[in-house]
Amino acid sequence: MAAALAASLPAPQAAPTPAAPMHEAIPASMSKVIDIEAEIPLKCVQLDGMVVSKIIKHSREAQGPAAHGLILGLDLDGILEVSNSFPLPNHSSDDDDKSVKGVARYQGAMLRSLKEVQADDSVVGFYQAMTLGSFFNQTLVDTQAIHQEKLRHGGVVIVHDVSQGARGNASFRAFRLTKAFLDAYKRNNFSTPSLISHRLTFSSMLEEVPLKIRTNALLSSFLGTLAEVSGPSLADAGPSAAMSSAALPPSFSALDLGSSSVSRNLEHIIEAVDSYKTEEGNLAYLQRQIAREKARAEAYVAKRKEENAGRVAQGLAPLPEEDVSRLFKVPAEPSRLESLLLLGKIDAFGKSLAETSSVGLVKIDDAVRAAHGSMGDRGRHATPTRATRPGAAAIAGGVGQPPNPY
Amino acid sequence: MPLSVDSSAVHIQNFAPGFTTTPGRAPTSVTVHPVALFSILDHYLRRTDAQERVIGTLLGKRSENGEIEVRSSFAVLHSETEEQVAVDMDYLKTMYELHHKVNPKEGIVGWYSTGSNLNTYSALIHNFYSQETAPHQAIHLALNTGVVEGEQAGIKAYVGSPVGVFPKPENCVFTPIPCELRFQDVERSGFDLLTGTAASPTSTAAHPTTDLEVLENSLQSVSAMLDRVLSYVRSVLSGEVKGDPAVGRYLMDTLGASTDDLEKNGFNASLQDTLMVSYIASLVRSQAEVSSRLALVTAT
Repeated sequence: MAAALAASLPAPQAAPTPAAPMHEAIPASMSKVIDIEAEIPLKCVQLDGMVVSKIIKHSREAQGPAAHGLILGLDLDGILEVSNSFPLPNHSSDDDDKSVKGVARYQGAMLRSLKEVQADDSVVGFYQAMTLGSFFNQTLVDTQAIHQEKLRHGGVVIVHDVSQGARGNASFRAFRLTKAFLDAYKRNNFSTPSLISHRLTFSSMLEEVPLKIRTNALLSSFLGTLAEVSGPSLADAGPSAAMSSAALPPSFSALDLGSSSVSRNLEHIIEAVDSYKTEEGNLAYLQRQIAREKARAEAYVAKRKEENAGRVAQGLAPLPEEDVSRLFKVPAEPSRLESLLLLGKIDAFGKSLAETSSVGLVKIDDAVRAAHGSMGDRGRHATPTRATRPGAAAIAGGVGQPPNPY
Repeated sequence: MPLSVDSSAVHIQNFAPGFTTTPGRAPTSVTVHPVALFSILDHYLRRTDAQERVIGTLLGKRSENGEIEVRSSFAVLHSETEEQVAVDMDYLKTMYELHHKVNPKEGIVGWYSTGSNLNTYSALIHNFYSQETAPHQAIHLALNTGVVEGEQAGIKAYVGSPVGVFPKPENCVFTPIPCELRFQDVERSGFDLLTGTAASPTSTAAHPTTDLEVLENSLQSVSAMLDRVLSYVRSVLSGEVKGDPAVGRYLMDTLGASTDDLEKNGFNASLQDTLMVSYIASLVRSQAEVSSRLALVTAT
């Protein structure tokens, strides 16, 4: 019997209806929304519920912020529907060539396997976990540049902030490289003139694509069953009914007053600023070297000219003007990509710090009011509260959120 | 939290004669991560028309006390006909190896199927998975997707043991064991996001939400809860409802917390810190912006 069980299935049925001309297969109602040539630009990325949970799980379990994987899906009428994802193994530090091949083999095998169970198997981008809002790094840029070259629609990168998730707000954002950056990247030229001609700063490296979360009907109904409150849920129901009648008790991690992440965030900023300073030092050193070499070359040319003028005056044949570039090696303009990435990192850390602190202010304000309220003495509803409220509102507004209406 | 309606079933530990020398303990309870659950549902959605149900492999960890943690799952090809059932073993092996590369800690703990009917084929498949998980016992998750009218969506977990004087693979006793949904605190936020999305009429949600919006929602729900408690207390005071002493005790513990130490400048100090941090944050950001603009200015 076990043998019958173990007998592997017959080969998967032949590929469904071999490629008939696609134009005929598309019904008229769909002809507008399906673009074979990938002409409709992407407007929006739609993330499936399963992908959300898969990314969160992988980000949490992977050591360090290095968790990354591929996302699979289809695009329809400008909406990129991401319906599946799988994690990629971590780059092991031993010889790169081997691990790259290993990853490629892994990827191919995984895609084949997914196809066999009718899952989507076209790669539309990749995801990456990050902490404290900072996702600028070399690997991300490299991978996305390759994808944007190869994939239909260029693909997107989805970043998930682990630390924000821990604060009770799971955050996903979708990005792609801007045209200007991609152009500079292709030429592999991030020298100052190139940056100027492309108008590149860290904020114009990536463009954000709007992202939506979607749960399919089956998942929605299942979650609904889980979250359903069994029994009467009216305000006047007996208190015993409130005792965990719902399968999913509400969570209030957003109300936690602790600010442990602030100090870590500050540390990250300091680290990033330090490495930026080192990088700037390197750049300045290279700049000085360039200037010195250039000056020497110019001096040489000037001297030769002077000599020649002298020789002409004496009636001698002038010395040939030699190629200066062969005598003096003027170093190439240094690449500023690294410093660009570091600045982006610093900005991201600063932004997440600003957000944390603005939320913190609102929380403190509420906590103060709650504390005073629970003393039962409304009259003492007190100076710190009044003093903080405009500040809280102003700062909350300052980072681009509407001030909270309480 | 429970994953199905309460049942009156007693969870019996069934120590099968063949398993008396099992290392570790027999599975006593199962916890399921959302990822595994969502993958099963997705697999069910993508089944072919011919498939009555889908099956797949559960990956996870066993702990010393007999608890099995199902961390993820993947679909497996199988075919069922009147006469026979077949599971694609090569596929299972390949898939397991792929998963193992990324997540070496997760091993095969059992299998899932959709639909809640257990039949002879279930016993056969279970027998097959028992060999995969040997020397441990395999578990079986039966997930009812709730698409059949009149059936409640939910998950039931079973351990299987051979039955009869001469055990045959097609005979099996499936003993129910407790099963619940569990996730880490970090994953909670993602789950909240999905439940919120599922509740919205279009099943889509714009994203990302800001921290402040999340905070606002939490505060509103706390405020609603306080209102509920207040109306209960009022009705007790007015004599409409008889007070429950247990609830009174809980309320006293929750609301009577001392705020003395908070009064002592704790808030003020923390407020100043936060304002300082906020100032630093905007300072850093503007410096970074200025620096990146300056890089675009040449000396000439």
